[in-house]
Amino acid sequence: MARAREVPGFDCEESFAETAVRVVEVRAAEVFAHSEGVLEIGEIERLHDMRVATRRLRAALEVFAPCFPRKRHRKALKRVKQLADALGERRDRDVAIEFLEGLEEEILEGDRPALAAMIGRLREEQAQANEDLKPYVAAKRLKKLRRRLHGLVGKAKA
Amino acid sequence: MKAREVEGLDPAAPLRPNAARIVRARLDELRSFAPFALEKPASQAQHDMRIAAKRLRYVLEVVAPCFGPEVDAARSAAKRLQSVLGEIHDYDVMLPQVWGIESARRLLRERRERRFAEFVELWQAEAETWTALERSLDDHTFSLQKSKSGGGKEID
Repeated sequence: MARAREVPGFDCEESFAETAVRVVEVRAAEVFAHSEGVLEIGEIERLHDMRVATRRLRAALEVFAPCFPRKRHRKALKRVKQLADALGERRDRDVAIEFLEGLEEEILEGDRPALAAMIGRLREEQAQANEDLKPYVAAKRLKKLRRRLHGLVGKAKA
Repeated sequence: MKAREVEGLDPAAPLRPNAARIVRARLDELRSFAPFALEKPASQAQHDMRIAAKRLRYVLEVVAPCFGPEVDAARSAAKRLQSVLGEIHDYDVMLPQVWGIESARRLLRERRERRFAEFVELWQAEAETWTALERSLDDHTFSLQKSKSGGGKEID
């Protein structure tokens, strides 16, 4: 899992609102930096890194909520949550498949065909979750989210 | 589970006292789930406590530089809690899915038992970590209040 980036100029004596701008800018940049290759099912860590970055951004938006204009903040948070949910649906299947594959060697031989069938079903769900995720990580959608977050931060600065 | 509202935050006031309020609220939230989550079958409370641990951890990740080294210990403890409760949750999700695959169910039940025992042990072992975190919040916000305004409040 990728470590959270340092926030340049972070200062505990600075105002809560000024810190909000610094932190959200960095956390938002992290999300977009991890958006490459998330739809590749064979590379599940990429999606995991973007999901973690999205959760960090969401946490920052929640922590610093009072520093932003309410309506803009609510909309931005909603979009980030939607992205997080779509990433989460894929991630849940990635984890479940990995988990069940890890059980194969440990269970009774007679139970293995049933487990393999279950993994097969999960692979279908994983492919569907990946399809559902596509629009959320499309370049156009991410650009729009970036603009929205930029606008939110700009309002807090003002 | 929706995060509890944190009262009295002031965007114009410095980060540190605001951060202390948020951390306290998230720590209270975490602790409030413990009496229920420590019951073995209470999977919903264990799940809620995992979310609370995650929220505390992420807040601490952001505001760690504002407080003492106790914050790093608390952050690690929250991460360990989140991890063990996450595994318990995975077993709770997986168990109904492997319905009919008896050897898999038995394995998952045994593992859940072990993780639950680890969770109980961890929660007991970290009691001092949370107390130290609270002390650190008090020390840093109180000393700041004293140096800036002779003991007056910074927020409110």
